[in-house]
Amino acid sequence: MAEMWISMGPQHPMTHGLWTLKVKVDGETIVDADPELGYLHRSVEKMGERRKYFMNTTLTDRLCYASSTTWTHCYVNTVEELMKVEVPQRAKYIRTIMLELQRLASHLMWAGAYMPDLGHITGALYFWRDRELFLNLLEAPSGSRLLYNYIRIGGVKRDLPDGFEAKTERVMKLFEQRLDEYADLFENSKIFRMRTEDVGKFTASQAQNLGITGPNLRGCGTKFDLRKHDAYEIYDEVDWDIQTREAGPGYGDCFSRYMVRIDEMKESVRIIRDCFKKMPAGPTLASQIPVRAQGEAFRRTEDSRGEALMYVVGDGSDRPYRWKIKSPMFTTISACPHYLKGYKVADIPAIMGSIDICIGETDK
Amino acid sequence: MEITSFKQKLSSCEGVTEVSVIRDNVVKLNLGNKESKDFFIKLREDYGFEHCSLITAIDNQPEFELVYHFSAINGSVFVKNSPSAVMVEVHVFLERDTPTIESISDLWGGANWHEREAFDMMGIYFIGHPDLRRVLLPEGFAGHPLRKDYVYEIHEEEW
Repeated sequence: MAEMWISMGPQHPMTHGLWTLKVKVDGETIVDADPELGYLHRSVEKMGERRKYFMNTTLTDRLCYASSTTWTHCYVNTVEELMKVEVPQRAKYIRTIMLELQRLASHLMWAGAYMPDLGHITGALYFWRDRELFLNLLEAPSGSRLLYNYIRIGGVKRDLPDGFEAKTERVMKLFEQRLDEYADLFENSKIFRMRTEDVGKFTASQAQNLGITGPNLRGCGTKFDLRKHDAYEIYDEVDWDIQTREAGPGYGDCFSRYMVRIDEMKESVRIIRDCFKKMPAGPTLASQIPVRAQGEAFRRTEDSRGEALMYVVGDGSDRPYRWKIKSPMFTTISACPHYLKGYKVADIPAIMGSIDICIGETDK
Repeated sequence: MEITSFKQKLSSCEGVTEVSVIRDNVVKLNLGNKESKDFFIKLREDYGFEHCSLITAIDNQPEFELVYHFSAINGSVFVKNSPSAVMVEVHVFLERDTPTIESISDLWGGANWHEREAFDMMGIYFIGHPDLRRVLLPEGFAGHPLRKDYVYEIHEEEW
């Protein structure tokens, strides 16, 4: 049969954001793919060069609408390294709690978006219903539901409100019960498994070479999580384990990526509980925060989607001279020809959905 | 290999200068442009840095600077008594008139789009790159906007 190119996007139900996936098909089989980005490019790096260091936290919030705290935290962490700011211990604990709440909200957003991709509308409603609970928790200290601007250079904006721990515990208890229910609805469902098992497979060595990180890399068996392997805040002090899928017949496929994210949510709940247990009293913002910075620094953090890395160069003024953002999805999308080839056109939503795309951070 | 002995091994490589440990798990070094490809092959094949994290292009006026970040995911280089993954930060300086360097996208597939972005935003040419097109800006866009001498058409306002 003759081969031809099909353009999926920029407006297409599969895309989750504005981007184009051109696929070359031979009948129903994908022969080649060519992703195209840039529809959402806002020149965040260039804008950042013209704003003062503390102003940029509002920009980083807008990098990814599903996971804004993790991006602000990555930026703040880098600038603190550059300015050599010492963050109070209590602020580190609050940050970790906020990061994990954000990870839960982000993973739930992903799960809710993934289910309609597979034709399971109920799943979207269930997961997004749970996401609302975590958005309420994120709203309590920060005051907003999507873009928080809560983590600041030197600490956090304000201390946690009264009764936050009890409220969080109530939500987490309910959430754990619901995850058990969902296990019957999704991972034990034959239709869900037929759509996701043995689809979109890649091996660990392929993924590492192609720059795939985060849950997608852990889905193919690599035990690599920057919260452990480049520990920041207080991740090395709380009890938790890296979630991977063991090597076996069905690992590295869409189903294992789904399972890794579900397990990670359970692990996030564990981290938050431990943080509340160990959290000390004290100030939540450093007393001395410089305005100017000289030199260069980089930090990498485990974003909900993989390795987030920021590199900031200061020239002694109050604005960054160069600010570079590494988005995990940028490289993961670039590798999509490798894991799409050989599958059917109908598998594209299942594969690209399982990657957890966020175009806001990718296009910067 | 432990990170201190790794650092010593790196010092003896061709084209490498100013090797230092900037954090307990990060080695920083400067590298000559001509020797870059041989060094990167060695870094991947001999020392097991499977993951290219980031390629940053900086306009230092007059010269350009490329900063490569690599990490060892499987722990072939490690820090004693710590789970931290080791990273290498490589600085390469390029002349302003000829901002070219050999591409590493044949070694690390993940470097492909980072190089495209450096070309797009800063106008660095990567020799041997399979598909050096703009990635974020539209085709036909004139100039490289992250260069410091890029002139905006709009009126610039002081914040």
